[in-house]
Amino acid sequence: MYLLVFDASLAVYLMSTIFFMIALFVRRVRPAAIATWILTLAFVSHGGSFIVRYGETGYSPLLAINEALSFFAWVATGIYLLLQTITKTRLLGAFVAPIVTIAMFISLQTTPGHIVIPPALRGSLVIVHVALTVAGEALFFLASAAGAMYLLQDGFLKKRKAVSFARLFPSLRDLDRINHVCVLWGFPLLTFGVIAGSLWARTVWGSHWQWDPRQIWTLIVWMTYAVLLHQRLAIGWKGHKAAVYSLAAFVILLASLIVVRGFLPSAHTFV
Amino acid sequence: MGILLVGMNHRTAPLQMRERLSRVCGEGVEADLPKEISTVCSIQEVLTMVTCNRIEVVAWSDDHDGAVQEIKDIFQRRGNFLPGELDGCLYAYDNLDAVRHLFRVAASLDSMVIGEPQILGQVKEAYRQAVGHGTTGVILNKVLHHAFRVAKRVRTETAVAGHAVSVSYAAVELAKKIFGSLEDKTVMLVGAGEMSELAARNLIKHGVQHIVVANRTFDRAVQLAAKFQGTAAEFDRLAEKLGEADIIISSTGAPGYLVTADMVRGALRRRKNRLLFLVDIAVPRDIDPAAGEIDNVFLYNIDDLQDIADENRQLREREAERADAIVEEEVAKHDAWFHTLSVVPTIVALREQAEAIIKGEIERSSPWLQALSEVERQRVEILAKSIVNKILHGPITGLKDESRQHGTMAYVAALRTLFRLDE
Repeated sequence: MYLLVFDASLAVYLMSTIFFMIALFVRRVRPAAIATWILTLAFVSHGGSFIVRYGETGYSPLLAINEALSFFAWVATGIYLLLQTITKTRLLGAFVAPIVTIAMFISLQTTPGHIVIPPALRGSLVIVHVALTVAGEALFFLASAAGAMYLLQDGFLKKRKAVSFARLFPSLRDLDRINHVCVLWGFPLLTFGVIAGSLWARTVWGSHWQWDPRQIWTLIVWMTYAVLLHQRLAIGWKGHKAAVYSLAAFVILLASLIVVRGFLPSAHTFV
Repeated sequence: MGILLVGMNHRTAPLQMRERLSRVCGEGVEADLPKEISTVCSIQEVLTMVTCNRIEVVAWSDDHDGAVQEIKDIFQRRGNFLPGELDGCLYAYDNLDAVRHLFRVAASLDSMVIGEPQILGQVKEAYRQAVGHGTTGVILNKVLHHAFRVAKRVRTETAVAGHAVSVSYAAVELAKKIFGSLEDKTVMLVGAGEMSELAARNLIKHGVQHIVVANRTFDRAVQLAAKFQGTAAEFDRLAEKLGEADIIISSTGAPGYLVTADMVRGALRRRKNRLLFLVDIAVPRDIDPAAGEIDNVFLYNIDDLQDIADENRQLREREAERADAIVEEEVAKHDAWFHTLSVVPTIVALREQAEAIIKGEIERSSPWLQALSEVERQRVEILAKSIVNKILHGPITGLKDESRQHGTMAYVAALRTLFRLDE
């Protein structure tokens, strides 16, 4: 049942992505509006899949890597849709929907048949830790998507040519604002997520900090975003610089996830 | 019987000729043009449209060649033209060609600047006046409403009207790409020339509320600022004032760079790196091109803006080809409608409609009809049918008689409209 709902959501996400691509290439608003509605539908059915998963397994469906990825996609979609209603930056979805679809696809590929939750993950603080961190990362992803679009649009405008490809792109100011808001909200989420994690680490491992590769990398990511936020709020980084930095920060975040999971032995890797 | 269109436009006649004719044909001229044309006996319906770029007469007539000649004569008489002087300037279309031309005019495909938005309003106004004069009838009403629909379709389905084709609108569009809404933005005009005034006007139209004017002669700055309810700034303090504006439009006659890259850097620092849009429409340039390399600064000079406007113009021309395909489709629809305007199918359609109404009403009344005996029920049905037939008898024989004596189409069209046979 879970897989059925999940597959259906994935298909709807894919459809939304296709409509966004059409909007990008025919340069009309209509397909983007349709894509946004489809994305909303995907968001709702995907939300339903978590409930189904919980009903079937009896544990909060965030703990396994596939579930965390799926949750990441869901939060990113939800926040994007929320931002979309406020700023009407429809075409940003053309950057968000494909990534969300890919995340969903990887999630599907890594869904195990049956898993046993290790004792170290049995506790409500773990759920808080995962939910907050993943939500923070989803916001950072949106920030970097807005940043990427900003850099494209910025490049077009600097070239001083009428670029028909960019006709429907949102204004620089809207993209910059989305970039800022996402980092501004993502940062406290990640912070509290990490705090929740370290509190839990003390109960299971005996201390807040173990110099685990995962923990070190997370600290690096956290500091990167702290610097970005500081530069923006105190020094007045805006536009181009902020967009470049937020993209770089997300690359570090992505690298930390891949490197730790793939190549480094970590006590933090569970399922 | 057919639709005809006689007219001249910016392609077929020089300005001087169009002026001369529009002076004696436009509104306010004593004997109004549509009134006069409608007195021509071969013309049943007429609509005239006079703008600075065109004069068009659309008519419904039963003698095409005669009517065209009469209209040409009226033009010649009114404008005091020599015989033959108008020959090369006027065009005349009939039936589908006339309809196609009308559709293209309404959709702004025949305009000097393709896609310019005023023309549809002018066609609507011409139609309103013709209706006011009582010179239109069933046919032209139908054709004109169709033309309005075509114009709307072209506007929504193609990009003929999209994107700026003038320098000052290109600047507005760029400002929107950068800032989104322009409502809380400040514009600074450096130099109080005509070009900057025009650009400022367009920006105000799109929401800009605050204008600052800096000019070498302060009085002129004060004057221009007063026009926009803005403020005047002293020219010597340009460097520090730069930081206050989001959009700067420069158009002075200064020989060298007035605004250096360092000045822009300073301004950007003061405004905490908020985006800055510089428009340099002066020749020679006022703003050092190096300023355009700075992050968060967008610098466009007059050539950049002209290039964009030209490119958009080319885009509109490409879109016009797609628009013409839409026009062709609609002309075919018009043709199909036109073919329904013959007597026999109309009478058949009218009868069928009446039968359907009788059947529907009897079914609706079946609950209480059940209470009657079989014979009584049949009598009710006969009664209903004979009432309807009596009512239809007049229109049907009238249609047959009139169509033998005069042209049929106008009557058929009227009947189809009144009885809503096409819905």
